[in-house]
Amino acid sequence: MEREERYLELYLDRCSAQDDLAPPGLPPLSPVAPYDVYVCNSSNPEAVFNSHLEEVKEITGGFSAVDLSFLPDELTQENKDQTVVRSKGEDEENCKTQSPPSKLPLPSQQDAGLGLTSSSSSDSHSHLQPGDANSGQHTPEKPDSLPLASIAPMTPMTPVSEGSEIVPQLQNIVSTANLACKLDLKKIALHAKNAEYNPKRFAAVIMRIREPRTTALIFSSGKMVCTGAKSEEQSRLAARKYARVVQKLGFPARFLDFKIQNMVGSCDVRFPIRLEGLVLTHQQFSSYEPELFPGLIYRMVKPRIVLLIFVSGKVVLTGAKDRSEIYEAFENIYPILKGFKKA
Amino acid sequence: MVQPMCLFFLISTLSCLRRVRDLCRVLQLPSTFEDTAVAYYQKAYQHPGIRAARVQKKEVLVGCCVLITCRQHNWPLTMGTICTLLYADLDMFSGTYMQIVKLLGLDVPSLCLADLVKTYCSSIRRKLAASKLECSQGARTACPSLADCSSPWALRHDPHFDYFSFKLFQASPSMPAKFMEDKEKMLSRTLQLVELADETWLVTGRHPLPVITAAAFLAWQSLQPSARLTCSLARFCKLANVDLPYPASSRLQELLAVLLRMAEQLAWLQVLKLDKRSVVKHISDLLQHRHTLIRKAFREGPSGVEAPAEELWGRGQGQEEVGNGSSDLPKGKRPASPALLLPPCMLKPPKRVCPTPPASTVTGDEDISDSEIEQYLRTPQEVRDFQRAQAAKRAATSSPNPP
Repeated sequence: MEREERYLELYLDRCSAQDDLAPPGLPPLSPVAPYDVYVCNSSNPEAVFNSHLEEVKEITGGFSAVDLSFLPDELTQENKDQTVVRSKGEDEENCKTQSPPSKLPLPSQQDAGLGLTSSSSSDSHSHLQPGDANSGQHTPEKPDSLPLASIAPMTPMTPVSEGSEIVPQLQNIVSTANLACKLDLKKIALHAKNAEYNPKRFAAVIMRIREPRTTALIFSSGKMVCTGAKSEEQSRLAARKYARVVQKLGFPARFLDFKIQNMVGSCDVRFPIRLEGLVLTHQQFSSYEPELFPGLIYRMVKPRIVLLIFVSGKVVLTGAKDRSEIYEAFENIYPILKGFKKA
Repeated sequence: MVQPMCLFFLISTLSCLRRVRDLCRVLQLPSTFEDTAVAYYQKAYQHPGIRAARVQKKEVLVGCCVLITCRQHNWPLTMGTICTLLYADLDMFSGTYMQIVKLLGLDVPSLCLADLVKTYCSSIRRKLAASKLECSQGARTACPSLADCSSPWALRHDPHFDYFSFKLFQASPSMPAKFMEDKEKMLSRTLQLVELADETWLVTGRHPLPVITAAAFLAWQSLQPSARLTCSLARFCKLANVDLPYPASSRLQELLAVLLRMAEQLAWLQVLKLDKRSVVKHISDLLQHRHTLIRKAFREGPSGVEAPAEELWGRGQGQEEVGNGSSDLPKGKRPASPALLLPPCMLKPPKRVCPTPPASTVTGDEDISDSEIEQYLRTPQEVRDFQRAQAAKRAATSSPNPP
């Protein structure tokens, strides 16, 4: 099974231009997303590609050097594709459910490219095929008959057996509460050991407690922001403790309108991610500017969560009001990321 | 009758629109770009958040519109260049850029590395032509179009942010002949090295320019190693009249490490026991066979850095079964065990191991004991001490002690 999986992975890989010594063996595992167009302009599976850079742009892929000896001999080329396609596990289907949370049509540009080929100029469109890239077509005359296009469902599959088994960890909870009384910040700063107050810098007292380890901003209006907790319950307990401190200082503080405003989680998918490819296939949601920030900013629509995705596979999820949104966002992004797993 | 405020806005808008056109001219962009950039600026200006923004932000917005236009036409222009031209802070530029892209709902294509490399060399052609003009006329007419541009930016168009103004391609008193290089050869090799860096995870998530600097340096060195191995990266940048970006040395080391790994897969290089200096002499060979060598030298581990030993054995078997036809080695002798093809950040050991915290049993409704709260309060004595200390501090700062 592992061997088949390996061939499936190879099948998905973009076959970049091979040099003159390229053996009729495995194609190079070039670091490109599997959604690349897979067009072979030679029906001879043993053909070797020219390594010229210009030609790489023309020939976006090839099926030439993949060893399909595991398939029965009587299969034709087309049937070979079909078989390979059919034998894909749920894994691939999950990969192909592109951006289910967005419910938008798949972008037409599928050439994830190395960023070295022109990414989205209009002349490169002629090289790109619509729909999913895993056509494995041997005849470039019919680039539209993509067997996988019909398989890709638009709704996310319930991750039963193909769950990521990775649970994002909550790192920070931001909550607010209303103490419902006017506060004398100078008095608080004087009588509380754990408070700092620099009115010239910021118009609130910054207070900290050790357990749960949190920080609070307490304003003279009686409103309070509590940050740093690792769970909703801890955030609530911490906020109550701050209210108690303020009470003990002689103010008629109450504890009203406690609300979680933001939750931040993080996790690690443990494989590298081609951010350049991801920004191409999910343009509507992604922003990747390496000149500004090393991570890709993915704005998921449903649930409304912002994800920071890094090349190392680490993912930060933020903007949630409830922890289920974090989990749901991760379950949505995981299959997309797995699609870019190939080096 | 025009309201004074409207007039003010009108004037400031017009002046900014003029700046957009000026910037396009300084950058020598095609004339069609000007109209697009101006249109973007006008569109942005319709948003109240932009209209009410500070002058600095409006000025930075000029650069943002030009950048977006360039990106949409695949015209390689870095944010660093624009910030230098506008004397703007990159943070401010970054915030405004992200804001305007979101506000206008734009799809901005990524910066194309290959085009960026090519631009360096084509700007050299301009610089060569310009320097010929300079020499003959003795005047600073670096760009004919700039001469009639009365914008203050005309003077800012100096070599330092013309990417590589590559004085390497012309002889001069300060440029020894052995350091001169053919532009086309250098472009081609730099492109190949940048492509290699991209394939081996050295580009994703990183600033693009330092990679290009490092690649250009290696390309230049490898074209005449005997004469150039002694030249350092810093000296090369000086010769080429370009800034040395800080990460370039690190990119250079990473690229050399990749080349060394690839060299281990070539039998005739294996015996030479190459190091980071000597490998430069063989870069042309390595680049020629780079696809095969990367395949052989590296393997990806789906489970990342965990259990590499089992991975190696499993993969090793698989590879031999399929048959690496062009293996130069006898069956018995294996090449160096393949390294993991991963981004450098994944290859380094983790700085600190963060253990998963134990599942919290906090409900949020626990009782809060008085003693716990009182630990945070000052005793009356402490309050007095604190007040005294504060008063003393205030007295000290208000009347500073004589030195």
